[in-house]
Amino acid sequence: MVSSAANSPTQQGSRVTVPMPRRALAAAAVALVLPLSACGSGGDEGGSTDASGKVEGDITFQTWNLRANFTPYFDRLIAAFEKKYPGTHVKWIDQPAEGYADKLSADAGGGTLPDVVNVSPDLVAPLAKAGLAMDLDKAAGKYRPEYLDGAWASHQVPGMSGTYAFPWYLNTGPLFYNKALFTEAGLNPGRPPKTYGELFAGALRMASKSGGKVATLANVPTIEDFGRYGVTLMDKQGTAFAFNDTKGVELLTRYKELYDAKALDPQALTATPESSGKKFLTGAVAMNPGSALDLDNFKKNAPSLYRNIGITDQITSTGHVNMYVMGVMVNAHTRHTPAAVAFAHFVTDAQNQMSFAKKVAIFPSTAGSLNDPYFTREDGTDETRVRIAAAKSLKSAVNYTPVLFSDQMKTALRNEVAKALQGRESPKQALDNAVNAADRLLRQG
Amino acid sequence: MAVSVRIRRQLPTSPWLFAAPGLLVTGAFVLYPFVSTLVNSFTDRRTLLPGRFVGLANFRELLHDDMFWTGLRNSTLYIAGVVPALVVLPLLLALLVQKNIPGITFFRSAFYTPVVASIVVVGLIWVWLLDERGLVNSLLETIGIGRVGFLSDQWLLLLSAMAVTVWKGLGYYMVIYLAALANVPRELHEAASVDGAGPVRRFFSVTVPAVRSTMVLVAALSSVAAFKVFSEVYLMAGPTGGPAGEDTTLVMLVQRTGTGLTGRVGYASALSVVVFAVTVALMLLVLRADRRDES
Repeated sequence: MVSSAANSPTQQGSRVTVPMPRRALAAAAVALVLPLSACGSGGDEGGSTDASGKVEGDITFQTWNLRANFTPYFDRLIAAFEKKYPGTHVKWIDQPAEGYADKLSADAGGGTLPDVVNVSPDLVAPLAKAGLAMDLDKAAGKYRPEYLDGAWASHQVPGMSGTYAFPWYLNTGPLFYNKALFTEAGLNPGRPPKTYGELFAGALRMASKSGGKVATLANVPTIEDFGRYGVTLMDKQGTAFAFNDTKGVELLTRYKELYDAKALDPQALTATPESSGKKFLTGAVAMNPGSALDLDNFKKNAPSLYRNIGITDQITSTGHVNMYVMGVMVNAHTRHTPAAVAFAHFVTDAQNQMSFAKKVAIFPSTAGSLNDPYFTREDGTDETRVRIAAAKSLKSAVNYTPVLFSDQMKTALRNEVAKALQGRESPKQALDNAVNAADRLLRQG
Repeated sequence: MAVSVRIRRQLPTSPWLFAAPGLLVTGAFVLYPFVSTLVNSFTDRRTLLPGRFVGLANFRELLHDDMFWTGLRNSTLYIAGVVPALVVLPLLLALLVQKNIPGITFFRSAFYTPVVASIVVVGLIWVWLLDERGLVNSLLETIGIGRVGFLSDQWLLLLSAMAVTVWKGLGYYMVIYLAALANVPRELHEAASVDGAGPVRRFFSVTVPAVRSTMVLVAALSSVAAFKVFSEVYLMAGPTGGPAGEDTTLVMLVQRTGTGLTGRVGYASALSVVVFAVTVALMLLVLRADRRDES
C-alpha cells in the first residue's frame, strides 16, 4: 500500500510519528478562530411624520409569534384594511418569540425594518432613541383619546418627548396555586396568601413540611417584583435607578430566607418562565404566576393539577397589579406614512382589539373596552372568572418594568440577586451593585 | 494550435477565477467581519447608534470587568477539562472499533451519532436527565446518594456541560484517529509483539508515537473549540450563564453584551478580539510544543 508523503510514517529511534502538515494545521486553526463575531450596520431613507396624505401603497407588518395560532384573524384583519383603503397592500410577516429583539436589531441595522412593527415598551425605547420609531403624538395625536391614558403613556421614553407606539393588547394574570400541595403542608387551600407576609410564612411552612422537596416559588425577584413590592424603581426624571432602597433590600432579604429554606426552588437562579411553568405542572412548585391561557395547558398536560388548581390575585404592596403592554410601532423611515399609520391604528382600534380579545386571553387597551360585558359578566367557568378578575385589576394596573430597563440591566440585576441569595453578597451590597451597573449602562446610552 | 494559444493566454487569471467563489465567501463572511470587529473594538458603537473612536477604552474596561475574568476563567477551565478527555478517549474508542469484526459498524455509527445530532436537542435531553427531578437524580436518590444539583451548582453545571461536550465530540475525533491508525504499519506491532511487548506496552510505544501528530491536531482543534464554547453552557446554564452568571464563558459574554437592541457592539468586539488573540496564542503554543517534541 502506497501512502502520500505527508501521511507516510517516519521512524525516529523507537518512536514512530505520522507527521501532519503544520501549515494545514495553522490554516485550519485560523479558519476556526477568525469568524468570532461581526455586526452589521445600515440605514433607511428618511420618512415623514405627516400621515395626512392618501392611504395607499405596499407596507409590511411584523408580529411577534402570532402566526401559529392567529393566522385567520390576521388574514381577515388585513383583508378588511385593504378593502377599506383600496390601493393598499399589507404583507404580513411573523417572527418567533425567541430572539425577537435580535431580529429587530438586525432589521434596524440593515435598514429592513418593516413599516409597522409589533413591539413592547422596552423594545421601542432604543428604536425611538435611534430615530427609527415614529412619534405618534405628531403623526397620530388625534387618536390619543381612543386609548386608556396609561396604555398610551406606556410607549413614551423618559428623556424624550413623544409617544412611539400605539398601545395594543394588555395582559395580566392571576397567581395559580396547587391546592393539594397546600393541603399536604397544612395550609388552608381555601385561603391563599393575600399579602407578602402571608406568602413568605406559607412558603417557609411548605418547605419545612415537605422536607425541602416542594418549593412555593420558582423564580428569583425581577424588576417588576420589586415594583409590586412598592420599591421605587427609578427617579422621577428617569435618569437613575433607585431600587436599592430600604424596601428593595427588605424584599431581597426575605427571598434569601426562602432560598435558604428551599421555599424558593434551588434551581430558581437559572430558571426561565418555561422551566418554572414546567415545575408547577409537575408539582415541584406550589405557586406560579400565569394567565387564563394556562388553564388550557393545565387541562391538557396536567389533569390532576387542573383538578386541584387554585386561582388567586397577584400579591402586591401597592394595590396595583403588574401588566404587560404590547404596542404597534410605525417605522419612522416608512415610504408610506399615511398607510402605515392608518394600518397601525386599524390594528389597535377598539373594534379590532375587542375582536382579538375574544380569540385569546388578552385585554384591549382602548378606552371603555374593559366595560364590555365580555369582561364583566360571569358564566360560571374558570376561564371567565380569571378573565373578569384580570380585566378588573387592569383598570388600575401598572407596567412596572421601566421602559429604559434593557436586557443587559435585567441580567445585571439577576446576577446580583443570585449572589445575594447564595450569600456571597449582602442584599444591600447586591442591590447597590445592580443599581450601579444599571446606571452605568443607562449613561452609556 | 489556436486552442493551445488561447489556453496559455488564460493561464494568469484562471487560478484566480477558480479561487474566486471561495475567496468571495471567505472575504464576505470571514475577513470582512474580522476587520469590522477589529475596527469596532476601538469604538463605543451600540447596535443602533454609530460609534466614535475611543482608543483602548474598551480594553481598559474589560480589565476591570468581573464578568470578563469569570468568562476567561470558565473558558480556560473548559480547555483544561475537555481537551485531555478529547485527546485520549476518542483514541481508545478508535482502537476499540478499529477491528473489523461482525457488528462493529453498528458501534461505529452509534459512537458517531451524537456528532450529527443537533446540539440543541442534545442539550435539552441532558437538561432533562440532569434536572433535580430528572432520571439521573432519581437513580441517585434510589441508591441512597440523594439529589445532586447538577444544574444549580456553578461548578457541577460547568462539569456537566464539559461532559456533554466530550460526549458529543468523541465520535468526531474518533474518526480522525481511525484515519491515523490506518496508517500505522502493522509490522511495527508485529515486531513489538515478537520483542515481547504486551498490549499496553504496544499502545504506549507504538500506537501513541505513531498518532502523536494526530493527537496534537486533536488537541489544537478541541482546545480552540473548547475556548469558544457557547451552546452547551448556554443550553444548560441558561441565557444568564448559570447562578449569578458564574458559568458564563467568554463567547457567551460576547453574545450577551453585543446583541439585542441595546447591545454594546464596541465592547463586545473588544471581547471578541481578546478571544481571538487568546485562541491564536493557544494554537501557537500547541504547535511550538509539537515542534519541540519533534526536534
